[in-house]
Amino acid sequence: MKKLFIVSVCLLSAMMAFSQAKKPTIMVVPSDAWCNANGYMKAISNGEGSTKNMPDYETALQSDMDLKLAIAKINDLMMERGFPAKDLEAQVKMVAQQNAEQNLVTSKAGNEMAESPVDQLLRVAKADIILELTWNVKEQGPKRTLTYILEGKDSYTGKSIGGSNGTSAPSFSADVAVLLEEAVVANIDNFNNRLQQYFDDLFTNGREVALEIRVFADNEAGIDLESEFGEDGTELSEIIDDWMSDNTVEGRFSKLGSSENYIAYEQVRIPLYNAKGKAQDTEGFARELRNYLRKAPYNIPVKLMNRGLGKCILVLGEK
Amino acid sequence: MRKFLLIAMAVALCLPAMAGSKKKANKDTDRFRYEIECAGNGTQGTYLIKVWSYSKKARVAAEQCKKNAVHGIIFKGYTGGNGCVAQRPLAKNPGVELEYEEYFNKFFSDSGEYYKYVSLTSAAQDIVKVGKEYKVGVVVSVQKDDLRKALEAAGVIRGLSSGF
Repeated sequence: MKKLFIVSVCLLSAMMAFSQAKKPTIMVVPSDAWCNANGYMKAISNGEGSTKNMPDYETALQSDMDLKLAIAKINDLMMERGFPAKDLEAQVKMVAQQNAEQNLVTSKAGNEMAESPVDQLLRVAKADIILELTWNVKEQGPKRTLTYILEGKDSYTGKSIGGSNGTSAPSFSADVAVLLEEAVVANIDNFNNRLQQYFDDLFTNGREVALEIRVFADNEAGIDLESEFGEDGTELSEIIDDWMSDNTVEGRFSKLGSSENYIAYEQVRIPLYNAKGKAQDTEGFARELRNYLRKAPYNIPVKLMNRGLGKCILVLGEK
Repeated sequence: MRKFLLIAMAVALCLPAMAGSKKKANKDTDRFRYEIECAGNGTQGTYLIKVWSYSKKARVAAEQCKKNAVHGIIFKGYTGGNGCVAQRPLAKNPGVELEYEEYFNKFFSDSGEYYKYVSLTSAAQDIVKVGKEYKVGVVVSVQKDDLRKALEAAGVIRGLSSGF
């Protein structure tokens, strides 16, 4: 028995030592402010008669050589640091390709591929960490200066990871491309220092993610978040709160808002490894909550929707 | 023969004095007794800095500048201004110098590895007499990307993708 225990402990330690936390993806995009200032916005109808302005990355990449150069330079420098970034242009092309395939592929019986409106919405270029790049050239007589901002944002929590910014020394001869390259090279280390702090925090305090709990209207299970369970009539929202408290790192999470139909958790610190010592992301964490709610005495059917490495939505009541 | 003997004696007398200056310069490096300022934006993978070192002998101070430059990039960082961007030290943890004392003693020894990561950009030196010693300033280029990789490989600092 003692031998078995020692072997189990050794195996678990080895798994912890060799397993790697899931690596977040990063991608450099031009900021909305830059796209707007340079005329790379497009109006998208929201289906309710009104339109919304969205950045048009495809046109920007096809038209602006300075943007391409800046993105290529940052990608190159990130690669140098052993953290390759997703290339925006490749991602934009991939999404276009997927859209084309989606429209063309049919089964032998002539059926189209199943796709919900949510699937369509999610099929856009995305990454776990977005690096927003903005620059602006100011001219004072013959002198040119370039102001540069690189800001990292967590895609799911919307939190700023940190950034770097600065203004170049005035130049009489250098063109925008040269000034931009200089700014990128000079500032990238400061940005990477911030990114390193973010990763250090992640290893110490767990990954910060967001989780939403929703309820299907008029669901078959006939429940909402105020439904009572057990002899003491504990409400479902309290049961979920207790589970969150027990399963997050040091019980750290905050509740953004709640009602009988919805709970929004943010700053949820999930462990990087699950109980089996395997790397864990939000989906793995949410799956454990789903399994808990599916079992007796709750027996609630739960639909799990993954929104990437850092966000999941659980919809209660039906599948 | 007598001449040769005199020269040999003179050299024998000077050597300890030189070694003493060098030893003191190394101590000054350990105590962060040097100054670093940005000398412009270096090319990709390098920092261009001006280092000021102190010694009773100008030659020793000039030679020590290279060691101080690498020491400064690892432990001190430098401030910005005049179009330069401030840079933080490569070692974020201030205790790392003590923690890896043996590694750094070897790294910064006179024939140490530090030499691989620094080069003089020009032979020009600024020499200022301060009291009984000289303050010598030289512009050097530090290969910070290669230096960082070496420190990451030695486990002294964490890489950006460590743990993933």
